[in-house]
Amino acid sequence: MHFENIADGVRLCAQGTDKFKTCRINISMAMPLDSGTSARAILPFILHRRCAKYPDYITLNRVLDELYGASVSAGVLKRGESQILSFNLTAIDDRFALDGDTVALECVQLLTDMIFDPLTEGESFPADIIEQEKRLLIEAIENEMNDKRRYALMRCEEIMFKDEAYSINRLGSVDEVKTLTPEEVYSAWKEVLCKATIQVTMVGSMDIAPVAEMLKNRFSSIKRDVAEINTVFVNEVNQPEYVCEEMPIKQGKLVMGFRTAMADEYDNSVPMRIAVDIFGGGTYSKLFSVVREKMSLCYYCSAAFFSSKGIVMVQSGIEDANEEKARNEILNQLSLVAKGDFSDEDFSSSIKSITDSIISNNDTPESICAWYSSQIFRESLKTPEAYVEEINEVEKSQVVEVAKTITLDTVFMLKSNGEVIDDED
Amino acid sequence: MKINEIRNELLNEMYYDIDHPSGLKILIMPKAGYTSTYAIFATKYGSIDTMIETKDGSFREIPEGTAHFLEHKLFESEDLDAFERFAKTGASANAYTSFDRTGYLFSCSGNFKENLEILLDFVQNPYFTQATVEKEQGIIGQEIDMYKDIPDWEVMFNCLRNMYHNLPVRIDIAGTQESIAQITADMLYDCYNNFYNLNNMVLAVAGNTTVEEVLEVADKVLKPVEGKMAQRKIIEEPKEVKADYCEKKLSVATPQFMLGFKEEWDTPERTAKEEIAMEILLDMISGPSTDLYKRLFDANLINNNFGFEYFTGFGYSCVLFAGESNDPKTVSEEIKKEIRHFREKGFDEKVFERTKKKLYGRMIMGMNDVDGLANNMAVSYFADEDVFTDFETYKTVTVEDIRELLNKTLDENYSTLSVILPNN
Repeated sequence: MHFENIADGVRLCAQGTDKFKTCRINISMAMPLDSGTSARAILPFILHRRCAKYPDYITLNRVLDELYGASVSAGVLKRGESQILSFNLTAIDDRFALDGDTVALECVQLLTDMIFDPLTEGESFPADIIEQEKRLLIEAIENEMNDKRRYALMRCEEIMFKDEAYSINRLGSVDEVKTLTPEEVYSAWKEVLCKATIQVTMVGSMDIAPVAEMLKNRFSSIKRDVAEINTVFVNEVNQPEYVCEEMPIKQGKLVMGFRTAMADEYDNSVPMRIAVDIFGGGTYSKLFSVVREKMSLCYYCSAAFFSSKGIVMVQSGIEDANEEKARNEILNQLSLVAKGDFSDEDFSSSIKSITDSIISNNDTPESICAWYSSQIFRESLKTPEAYVEEINEVEKSQVVEVAKTITLDTVFMLKSNGEVIDDED
Repeated sequence: MKINEIRNELLNEMYYDIDHPSGLKILIMPKAGYTSTYAIFATKYGSIDTMIETKDGSFREIPEGTAHFLEHKLFESEDLDAFERFAKTGASANAYTSFDRTGYLFSCSGNFKENLEILLDFVQNPYFTQATVEKEQGIIGQEIDMYKDIPDWEVMFNCLRNMYHNLPVRIDIAGTQESIAQITADMLYDCYNNFYNLNNMVLAVAGNTTVEEVLEVADKVLKPVEGKMAQRKIIEEPKEVKADYCEKKLSVATPQFMLGFKEEWDTPERTAKEEIAMEILLDMISGPSTDLYKRLFDANLINNNFGFEYFTGFGYSCVLFAGESNDPKTVSEEIKKEIRHFREKGFDEKVFERTKKKLYGRMIMGMNDVDGLANNMAVSYFADEDVFTDFETYKTVTVEDIRELLNKTLDENYSTLSVILPNN
């Protein structure tokens, strides 16, 4: 792995390899989750569809077609209390170009054109483009409710973190997006270039030097002033909150949000990952083997650990009538983990499963890129192998200790309002 | 034992094609430099197989969703179930049922031989009882309900139900609450014995492994069988769609739509060339680089979730356009208009060449991941092709092929529109 500092708060990480038939590049730009979230959320979508050189997306898409179907995607992620604007590019490796083209470097050039040299109009973006992108972002935010499992999780987060920045939707809010002006979006773009923590991660056989050079040139004219990003870890829980909402749906969605005693992202996160996995990870976990297999209450019931905020979220799709039964059993299974009531075999199954899947990250350019780009805030990057070593050092007693600190904070139940009509054929 | 090497020079890839004495086809692609291995053991039995051949050669009906139900139940055994066995090795195991196949799979970065042995063993050893069947009805019942709330799924099945009168591709892969209630342990054994014959199956492995490793386990665990490929019944289907429009309300923000064009062919399955030619044609008509796409996008009629699919399998083939729009009927009319325009005015050959170049790149991109490769090997085998067939075939597609296809398919008289509307 090659690391290089491009500018203040801008890092290039490159893994040179000819193992794959493609190259992959991720550019991640992180800012604090705050009142500027909506104006920034629209940026990656605007930028990845056009640039000064190719001012509309049809022209740009045709250029990408000629580059052997290279694909550029844009997205926004939430990591702790940060908002990450993310760009991904996949192109074929130069050795498969049919006429000796240097596809990969051209693609990187294009990607940097999109981010640093967008289509502008004076000190602003063209108004018609902003209107169109606003429409698309609003639809994207509104359509998040279509996936009920995801929607229920989001609602639970909104309620659980109502006094914390973590409740802010990474895509912003519909009301805020509606009022965005081209000038505001333009200054958000300027701000991101100057203040974001940035990591460029690349995997493939291409030369690293010209890419580093290209990035250095881009940043040479930007006065950097990196914004601080802090995530608040709340360990105290008062009385757990319960919220139930109704919708015309067939299957109920139960979400239970838990807090832990973690002080920051790295505090006991390795034993916590194992504890949450034994509780509700693989098929050997308590939630899968008891709530699904033994009690046949659901098709899915699982727990996810978000180290970047020190929280655990349990999700299950159940019949409304089984809500209490499921809720009680989930809490019961958690208390068993916290009492150390799991076998050495469960413990070793969990460690084997986690390490096996971490090592498998080495086998696709996408997963290697994702592995390193998720470490954007780390001073020094960790390889999958180094992480596996840490996992193997964890003792059962540590897992029990951290499991004891997992405390219920909020329960959210999305129920049917009885209005679903079955299909008639 | 016959071991063939299947190579592709351009990709610098090869894999082994083996007729194992047990009757099973085994395909192995060793990948240098990879740490993980992916294996899939699949049978040519999916949700469209709603008829089972009896001893006298006639066919008898089985409940909808049986293939998927059997997939769930095969993980169980008299003592340790398959998940418990995989938990000891660290592999990540799973299974899926599609319209025309069922696959059992694992991926791992260690203990490969042990994992392969578990896979081959549990799939060959069914254990069904009435009690375990009843327990599964609760779990699958929840799976069925979950899909009822997923608009992408509903818009597609409503479209297929509109399109087809008789073909079982119109039914839900998991069946219905009523159909799975009819499933019994005996029924599962009947289906198992008919479809899980090694001659009807394939094992495909890609990644950090060798032929010797795979064969060592296969020789030890595979039980030779007599028998033949299970027969699929050809089901009669009228040329016309069953209905040309349907709508349903669900809690969505923006309406969703799927526009389908039904096709009629003389043979039950499409060739690689037909499929590739259609992919190119559809991308030329409505892909993200086209005039139609720009027109719809700029008129606020579609958003990022607009796309197409050539949806084919045994006995069925149709073209599907899908997306989110506040005015699905206008989008549908615009697509039909563009198809007419292509048919009447023709198209620029440069666009054809550019689209071919894109397709080439996208095929290369699909050759990285061991899971994709192993699945492709299995699917290609069931289609009497190999993994590299598409690479050779795409070169042979000509402008003439596209014109011919355009005259034969995408007939709006055989189209149907399925819409999901917001319910508030």
